Amino acid sequence: MKTFEYLKRRFKEYYKDNRDKIPLVSLFNQREFGFIPWDRQIRMIRHMGFANRENLIQHLINNGPRHVYSSGSLYLNPENQDMKNKGYQGCDFIIDIDVDHFYTPCKEDHDIWYCKECGKNGKGMVEKCPKCGKLKLKKLNWICEECLKAAKKEIIKLIYDFLIPDFNIDIEKIKITFSGHRGYHLKIEDNDLRALSSDERREIIDFITGEGISFEILGLRKMGDNIFGFSAETIGWAQKISRRIEEILKMSSIEIETLLSDKRKFNLNQNFIENFLNYKNNFLNIIKSNNMNNWTLVSSNLNAWYNFLGPIVKQIGIEVDEPVSIDIHRLIRYPGSLHGQTGFKVQELLFDEIETFNPLNEQVEKLDPIVFVSKVQTIQKLEIIESNVPATKIKGETFGPYKLGDKIEVPHHIAVFLLCKGVAKSI
Amino acid sequence: MSGIYDLVKRYPWLPSLKTYYSDIASKNPLDFINEIFTSDKVEELKAKVLTVFNDALNNIEQLSEYELDEFNIFVYLLLKIILYILNNKVVSNRIANIYSKTTYNELNKENEYNLYYIYQDLNLEILFEEKPTIYKKLIVKEQKEIFKTNFKISYLDYLKLASNLKDEYRKLVNNAVLQGYVYIKPENINRLLQEYVRMKFLTQNGEISAELDKFKEKLFEIQEFKSFYDTIIAIWESKKEEFEYMIDISFKEGKDISETFPPCIKEILSKAQEGQNLIHTERLFILWFLNSLKYPEDKIINVFSTLPDFDREQTAYQVKYAMKKGYTPYSCKSLKSYNLCLAKEYKDKLCLEGYFSRLQDVQKDISHPLKYIEVKQYRGSKKLKKTENQP
Repeated sequence: MKTFEYLKRRFKEYYKDNRDKIPLVSLFNQREFGFIPWDRQIRMIRHMGFANRENLIQHLINNGPRHVYSSGSLYLNPENQDMKNKGYQGCDFIIDIDVDHFYTPCKEDHDIWYCKECGKNGKGMVEKCPKCGKLKLKKLNWICEECLKAAKKEIIKLIYDFLIPDFNIDIEKIKITFSGHRGYHLKIEDNDLRALSSDERREIIDFITGEGISFEILGLRKMGDNIFGFSAETIGWAQKISRRIEEILKMSSIEIETLLSDKRKFNLNQNFIENFLNYKNNFLNIIKSNNMNNWTLVSSNLNAWYNFLGPIVKQIGIEVDEPVSIDIHRLIRYPGSLHGQTGFKVQELLFDEIETFNPLNEQVEKLDPIVFVSKVQTIQKLEIIESNVPATKIKGETFGPYKLGDKIEVPHHIAVFLLCKGVAKSI
Repeated sequence: MSGIYDLVKRYPWLPSLKTYYSDIASKNPLDFINEIFTSDKVEELKAKVLTVFNDALNNIEQLSEYELDEFNIFVYLLLKIILYILNNKVVSNRIANIYSKTTYNELNKENEYNLYYIYQDLNLEILFEEKPTIYKKLIVKEQKEIFKTNFKISYLDYLKLASNLKDEYRKLVNNAVLQGYVYIKPENINRLLQEYVRMKFLTQNGEISAELDKFKEKLFEIQEFKSFYDTIIAIWESKKEEFEYMIDISFKEGKDISETFPPCIKEILSKAQEGQNLIHTERLFILWFLNSLKYPEDKIINVFSTLPDFDREQTAYQVKYAMKKGYTPYSCKSLKSYNLCLAKEYKDKLCLEGYFSRLQDVQKDISHPLKYIEVKQYRGSKKLKKTENQP
């Protein structure tokens, strides 16, 4: 409780010191707001509305909530407790990219899990206990530059490979924020998109992720002993897949072999891989040609092609947290607010700022989400209360790994991070 | 090329009906019924409406009469009023299906200019380009199949029309999307409009309410209408037996095993029971699934008997063929790819968490709906044994 009181004070101070820097979201007074306080008894306070920005800031200064959210939806009466009576007017199209939902190799180093059912523990990304199969896992998910880079790469891919070329989305209508933890939010503020139903939103998400793709409809078929593939002239996913295959075929043989043998990505038999390598130049000519598409030289087995194309779709598609886009009543983190699990700022980013943005070591001060860096070097004493805490690299300096009972001295921003993560207490 | 005034006669569901035929379309339904049932058109109109009902309830694929004249407007409006007060899902589905199918065939006969006007009237952002675009190319051996079109529809309008159809051909991901538009042939747009028209007959059917009863009462004060309505009811009564086959899923050793069905199957059965249309993959799945459980042929056919386009003879042929071939029903992986998996929607624990295999001492995933039944039945038999052993 002492820790929470301390963090609450720090958060209040942040809102007080930065009252003019907290941005105003569009159509502010039509948004519903929600807050998660530090008090563990209260889960979330929602159905709140603010007439103006000043009232919101005052609320943040007075309460210093752990998490702050606003709706993607617009309502006539955002404060109404009953969703049916809120007067729904539409919802921004929101895409959440969070490394929690996809694999990155760095998770093998820094994500720790413990099965509450059978006691087994380990590192990496698991959905259920590999021993007993139960879902009751306690997880300690960490962050590093690698996984945040992976999330950023997905956002950039989303914009340049899908939103602009396929959906012709106006850049001016795209708002991007760093979530303050393990990902990014992308919001499209467009009246036509706001009118979409959940089913219609799902269709867009399926397009972006490649879910429900039918290789047969795109052109893959078996005739006798021959396999006929896609034409690069077929607009849409067939073109995307053809381009990706072309990219792979242009790689060196060693790179291709390494990629196709990676069991995390592909599940191909050796025969397929060997043929792919042996005939890579011939296959490249076929893929590039508008008049040939006999893929039999690599394999005449349709299932082998499914095993190849499925992971290709996964590589092209975007890793998104689907329910966030489909659920029109979701709340998302308010830009400029603090993330209660890290103490980092939810940072708004302009389109041209995303490429160079580095949340754990940002050089541009106004974009820096690490807000608790003291101008005067202050050291805080903490005790580790979690059995294993992975190493943390922030602002170019690495702290940890730590073990239960370790007494440590760390700079203020690291202390806030470890306290927010719930792995340490002040001493 | 026709003007929109003429097109409205052919397609009375077009929004311009209210502009060009405001005297009919904007009328209070009571006044409308009163007026037409006292006019000299009434006999012809009644005959046309009865033909629609007879066609729909006789498993005919397309309306036997579809005159593209002003009568068409009256038929459409009268059908909607009758279906509203009838409030019968099976009948509504059948009328909606046959009417929309006929509309689709009629739309396909229209020239590109008329189609363009129709799309514009529906406020769809559809562009017509002088030069057709090749959007798909299939090459098999020496044969090339080239798909080209002059039409492209905004993806937002495409979604409005297509997102209800769970058909994998209509899924955005399997279509030619570029720069905010879906390249599409007019017959495919028309197929989407078929669904739009189908929904026009279904959206008004809600629960029986006091308001509906009051409306019905008022309408029945018009004697001529009341007796016409009774004729329709009589047609339905004489046919209803054909559509009210119980979906008997209690086969297999005389025990009701429907409780052990996974959510994907439960959902399809419930849709069929309501007379909703099933997409091709749903039909195949349920057929192969029931066949795997050794359901008798007639019981499988009856499952399909409530569908709007049911044809007993054709269904019997398809069921027999599938039984002979002995196809295996889709696995969970395939069901997911067809968007038919409902584990998450139903929050089904067995689907989501799998089961513990004592034999292998590991937690295993449910990878097939038949495995789901096996596990459920095993658990059921354990429970039964426990109850039997209790004093």
